[in-house]
Amino acid sequence: MKALTIFKAVTKNWMRSRSGLFFSILFPILLLVVFGAIFSGIGGTSKYDLFVQNLDLKAADGEPSDLSLAFIEALNSTETFAIKDVSPSENATEYAREALGPLGGSMRILVISEGFQDDLINGTLKVRIGISYDTLNMYYWYFEPYMDDAQKAAFQQGLDQMQQYNATIPDTKSSLTIMVDPSDQSAAIIKSIIASVANAFNYEMIGAENVIEFNETSVTTTRYSNVDFYIPGITAAFIMTNGIIGLAATATEFKRRGIIKRLSITPLTKMDWIIGNVLSQALLNLMLTAIMIALGWVIFNVRVIPDAFSIALILLGSIMFSGIGMALSGFIKDVEAASAIGNAIAFPMMFLSGTYFPLELMPDYLQTISKALPLTYFSEGLKHAMIYKNPEGVYLNMLIVAILAVAFIILGSLVTRWKEK
Amino acid sequence: MNKAVVEVDSLVKQYGQLKAVDGISFEVYEGEVFAFLGPNGAGKTTTVEILECIRPLTSGTARIFGYEVTRNEDVKEIKRRIGALPQEFSALDKLTVKENIELIGDMYEKHLDVMEIIKLLDLEDKTNEKFENLSGGLKQRVGVAAALVSDPQLVFLDEPTTGLDPKSRREVWVVIENLKKLGKTVFLTTHYMEEAQVLADRVAIINKGKIAVIGSPQELISQHGGLKVLVIRKGDKKLADSLQKRYGQTTMNGNGDILVKIDDVDELWQMMTTLTEMRVGKDIEIQTPTIEDVFLKIVGGRITEEGEFKQ
Repeated sequence: MKALTIFKAVTKNWMRSRSGLFFSILFPILLLVVFGAIFSGIGGTSKYDLFVQNLDLKAADGEPSDLSLAFIEALNSTETFAIKDVSPSENATEYAREALGPLGGSMRILVISEGFQDDLINGTLKVRIGISYDTLNMYYWYFEPYMDDAQKAAFQQGLDQMQQYNATIPDTKSSLTIMVDPSDQSAAIIKSIIASVANAFNYEMIGAENVIEFNETSVTTTRYSNVDFYIPGITAAFIMTNGIIGLAATATEFKRRGIIKRLSITPLTKMDWIIGNVLSQALLNLMLTAIMIALGWVIFNVRVIPDAFSIALILLGSIMFSGIGMALSGFIKDVEAASAIGNAIAFPMMFLSGTYFPLELMPDYLQTISKALPLTYFSEGLKHAMIYKNPEGVYLNMLIVAILAVAFIILGSLVTRWKEK
Repeated sequence: MNKAVVEVDSLVKQYGQLKAVDGISFEVYEGEVFAFLGPNGAGKTTTVEILECIRPLTSGTARIFGYEVTRNEDVKEIKRRIGALPQEFSALDKLTVKENIELIGDMYEKHLDVMEIIKLLDLEDKTNEKFENLSGGLKQRVGVAAALVSDPQLVFLDEPTTGLDPKSRREVWVVIENLKKLGKTVFLTTHYMEEAQVLADRVAIINKGKIAVIGSPQELISQHGGLKVLVIRKGDKKLADSLQKRYGQTTMNGNGDILVKIDDVDELWQMMTTLTEMRVGKDIEIQTPTIEDVFLKIVGGRITEEGEFKQ
């Protein structure tokens, strides 16, 4: 079969091309290793840099107050922050900027205000007395019918004294100031963690206990690591780039150099040519998936196993993106333009299809756009097949990918010119 | 005369108002080397690609081995029987010479032994060399090998020596001469006058989509090439004036050479006797007209090395 001959030839040609191998296989692997290294925790978990300036000093010796130190210790115990002390005499912003240097990361400064300890003690006392007062008051109204007048008067006197004492406590609150760079993507997470620590500190001070128990369990039957979740996304994204950038550039190059014209003079048909190229892409993509998973097993101990659905999806995805690549090469004359246009299509699609970032994080209008992108369905389908083992999620996405595969391969074959004008 | 394997009648290829091929008619006979000679844009490649069934025609008819190039059923038959070296031939860079020839061979139901073809084209040393590492001349030879691997009866060679250095060009000429010896019919397009004259049994001069003249190089030269010219290198004005008085048709070129047109052999002998008597001991040579002179006379211009037409 002539398509098989074409398949063998273009595959061999690709496998002997260093740049082809790099962009199709090695680059995705590098990306997986980078993502894996960041999110797997191997080699130590990374921490957020946090500059802390403690302005709450004891009057006697100028040392930090006990409660402010306890709060910093509580922040440390979360194992989330790499805390860097800023002397109270420094301008915190200037100090942090200098410490980070010209290539430094995001600037995050927590300032513990002067009087933090006193305000915390006063505030805590006020709250505790207030709670005690309310409790006793409630009991008073509950037991009043059973008390004589002397008991009532004594109870009332006690309550009045509590109220009077509470009024003497200054109505102040301890204050923490967090300064962040507006462009810092992690700012929201950091603020949320500091707020949680402050709340826990509050509870501890007033002697409150958590009454809601928070349990966490996985939606998957197998216990997957973070890297497992990245594998379908990265695989899908690079199957897309192999078709839209790789095949488009190769097919344009074959056209420009007259290789397609040379083949068209032989009895080879256009359909044989297209099938041969799609088969080559399918093999490349199956190899890419196998290598990614094998590497994931060895380095990151991943557990995803592609099943029949995953393989079917990869084949359909290969057809779909090969169709787009073929269609592009039909319109474009030179390789540089093919590569540029391929990148212009592939890269936004990569980031808007939920392969690297969850769709829920995107604004509504971007989520709407993502629904029009073929990679969204391919990537989601692979996630359902490889991770969630959810056939219903696979069927719907697979159906959409199959329809798009047929549509794009028809478009690709219509646009591919087998005859000159 | 052998039977015609290519029959073209009133062939027209039009792009909007432009007629790239303007009603040409010709035949190519079995076993001959037929050359289409003309400048870039004359319509050579367009005609060849119509005959190779990869470009539709606007009007007229074209038959290869009696099969119509416009009928789908016939196209399959034509493609089985022809071989082609397209203009600026290229192949898969990372495949070897052998793999590239095999690739083209595998497109046919049967093909010749690839190693035989490699031997025929003297490419044995390069059998396992990647295509990207070959010189221009070797790449063209691989192209010719690919054109022959299906053992075609008719081979189209579209500008097979364009862009090659003189040595590589001669190598390709040898290959084409061998094709003729093998009994193949060769349809050659070129803008090199010498190539057409040396290789072709018949030449069609084509310009602006029209065939100006067809015939064997000898026929064309004798009919349209003009007179032979006696050239006396670095002659002087006095000698030139003397020859002009006796024989007429004498001029001097920019290099100081005296050029005297000769009507026949008798006149040549007379002239030689005169020069001996005058003790002219200069370099003397006789220039015979070439296809270039034919082209100049018929089309009214020359073709540059790059293939451009120059008046």
